[in-house]
Amino acid sequence: MDTARILVVDDDKEIANAIDKLLTLEGYEVVKAYNGLEALDALVLNNIQLILLDVMMPKLDGLSTTLKVREKKNIPIIILSAKSEDSDKILGLSMGADDYITKPFNPQELVARVKSQLRRYMHLGDMANSIHSSQILVGGLCLDKDSKELIVDGEPVKLTPTEYKIMDLLMTNVGVVFSAEQIYERVWEEPAYSVENTVMVHIRRIREKIEINPKEPKYLKVVWGIGYKIEKY
Amino acid sequence: MVTKLRNISKYSLTKFIAFIMVVALITTVLIQLIYVSYLDINPESLLVKEYKDSQTEFVNEFNYAIHQTYDFINDFPRHIPNDLDYLYYIKTDGMENTNSKIYTKEFFASHKDAFFAYEKGVITLGESTNPSIVYSYPADENMTVYIAFPYEYIEEQQNIWEAGRAKLIPIAIISIASIVVALILIVYLIIVTGRKTQDDELHLSRVDRIYSEILIAGFIPLFVLWFGIMAHLPFYGGINNSSLSINQIYNMIFAGAVTAIVTALCGVLLLSIVRKIKARRFIKHSITYRVFHSISEFIKSFFDGSRFSKFPLTKSLYQRQIIFIVASAALVFFTFLFILIPPLILIPPILEALVIYWYIKYNNITFEEINKGFNESLEEQMKSERMKIDLITNVSHDLKTPLTSIISYVDLLSKEEDLSDSARDYVNIIAEKSDRLKNIVADLFDLAKSTSGDINLDFETLDIKRLIAQTLGDMEDDIEKSGLQIKTKFPENPVNIVSDGKKLYRVFQNILDNALKYSLKGTRIYVELEEQNGKAIATVKNTADYEMDFTANEILQRFNRGDQSRTTEGSGLGLSIAESFTKVCGGDFKVDIDGDMFKVIITFG
Repeated sequence: MDTARILVVDDDKEIANAIDKLLTLEGYEVVKAYNGLEALDALVLNNIQLILLDVMMPKLDGLSTTLKVREKKNIPIIILSAKSEDSDKILGLSMGADDYITKPFNPQELVARVKSQLRRYMHLGDMANSIHSSQILVGGLCLDKDSKELIVDGEPVKLTPTEYKIMDLLMTNVGVVFSAEQIYERVWEEPAYSVENTVMVHIRRIREKIEINPKEPKYLKVVWGIGYKIEKY
Repeated sequence: MVTKLRNISKYSLTKFIAFIMVVALITTVLIQLIYVSYLDINPESLLVKEYKDSQTEFVNEFNYAIHQTYDFINDFPRHIPNDLDYLYYIKTDGMENTNSKIYTKEFFASHKDAFFAYEKGVITLGESTNPSIVYSYPADENMTVYIAFPYEYIEEQQNIWEAGRAKLIPIAIISIASIVVALILIVYLIIVTGRKTQDDELHLSRVDRIYSEILIAGFIPLFVLWFGIMAHLPFYGGINNSSLSINQIYNMIFAGAVTAIVTALCGVLLLSIVRKIKARRFIKHSITYRVFHSISEFIKSFFDGSRFSKFPLTKSLYQRQIIFIVASAALVFFTFLFILIPPLILIPPILEALVIYWYIKYNNITFEEINKGFNESLEEQMKSERMKIDLITNVSHDLKTPLTSIISYVDLLSKEEDLSDSARDYVNIIAEKSDRLKNIVADLFDLAKSTSGDINLDFETLDIKRLIAQTLGDMEDDIEKSGLQIKTKFPENPVNIVSDGKKLYRVFQNILDNALKYSLKGTRIYVELEEQNGKAIATVKNTADYEMDFTANEILQRFNRGDQSRTTEGSGLGLSIAESFTKVCGGDFKVDIDGDMFKVIITFG
């Protein structure tokens, strides 16, 4: 795992070099490419486990490259883009990318996301095959109802019983929006009265445990003015 | 070859020669006519070969003879001339007369070419006598009249007839040929006039500056002059000894000169008219047209807006309307006035129709122009919006890319182990500032996008009470850290609005962030929500920890921060973003400053 080979694609050589250094420090092997076509060549020549891909590039842009890669491989693709709109993110993810990081990125977050994707790719690959009926899999999250634990990208996360119950409720109903009252009544099993704050605080705690960047959650989302949900992947 | 010919035909010299030839030919024809008149030849000889068939000569002579003979009967025997050209025989009751030695009918009838007999009411003509000879005769059945012209006389006259004819035929041929050639040349001149070799344009000459009416009227004095001179030309009688007298020659030269001049002038006028017609200026370049045109232009100028061109378009609509009403009123007045003068009664309705036509026509043009201007400005606005959005996108990308490098390399630098303490401090400062720069760029981008309207909105029905509560829960750490108390006052029931939850979350987050940052220690922040007349009104009140020496408007100005000296964190765009986002979400954003109290009021509904 430590010798995982990562392909970094960015037409800005300084950024590519910086990412190279960052990842090398973390013990990864890095292959660089400066446009989509070079990336596709590099992919053939090297045994690549993960791709970091810029969007705005000459010759072949990141989104087209993603599509091309997805024709043959299912290795994780993380898109790196200066475009920060939600619509851009949704477009990138729908093209087959696994994650979307906006520039300028926090180097620590980038490393964390790379690690998470690699873990998921390497460990969850065989987990998905041997999934139990008591397990719920959402993206990199795996809720095991038997052992009552949540595994994020292959690593177990420590949740309090209340937090676990909230996750159980939301993951069992992926994509469904629950209001604070609904969550409170089901989890606390008490009538709900002025519970928004209580639930919200719990949601935030869970986020800090399962999300790489709690400010920009990937799984556990607040639907503002309505409720909470686990995003479907 | 053809082009060459065409070119030659357009040479000024060719045209000049043609013109001179036309004048010369017409003059020649006239001189020949005068000459013919001097020759005293009956022009009929051109058409009629035989003297005995000539209508104007022999028929007249014969009829005269018949009448004269009758007169003999009445005047008998006093006035019978002795030198008659013909032979006659008359017999009435008790009277018989003749100038012929032989006066049998057979003798008279032997003059086959010219014989007339009236006997017992029956007319008999000679075998080869022209039947059209007799057109009036006596009607007295008791009378017998024989008339015959002797052969010698007919022959003599025939010789004179033929001599005249021999002279006339060449003159006629020459004249006809001259006329034909002159007509051909005139047609040629009409075709080439105004054309030049170098181009296909129509060139007008100086004569063409004369108004069309004057050009046409110019023919009148010329014709009057010519006919006047020709009519008063002394005749000087026929030819003696078959040669012209000096007077006659002078006469012919004078007539020829006058004709040449008149013809030349007529030609100039004609060709000028032709050029003007060809240039489509004949009507337009006439006094009548000018007068009517300027009058109509003058009236039209009140309608087509040219008189009011310095006013805006809408103003010209207004002016036109007033003029239309005034003109219509005046015309109605004239209609009543003209009832007294029936022939003029049609004038006001016709003018009114014209005024209505102009009014509608130019109103439509003005509307079109207004429409055009409106569309153009709309397009312009759209274009500038698009440019602004493109600019934002590009600038944002151009700012973010180097910033990515800075942040990444600062991070790498901070990981270097052999940094001195001060160097590590510097790196930390750079890291902190580049992080702040990142936030400013992100905020700037958000603000620019929302103010330019290029923002994706996701509207849904949401409970604003819940949204505020969620925001407070989300910010609980910050609130705790600040040591400030939040006092909320929400209505019992959900307050549903249709809006974009994510944007609205940013709004309240920014407002609360602002309140947390600038509140006096130990004071409370009041977050209230109430429903009034179907409107959701959310207020956030806090007590500032500094003197707010600015107005509500100033604080919302971009980049303005309450306290100029605070430079620690934030982009200074928080409230501006909150305001802009509220607006795109369909709400109203208001700031109220009262002493140390800072109040934000957001209204939806």
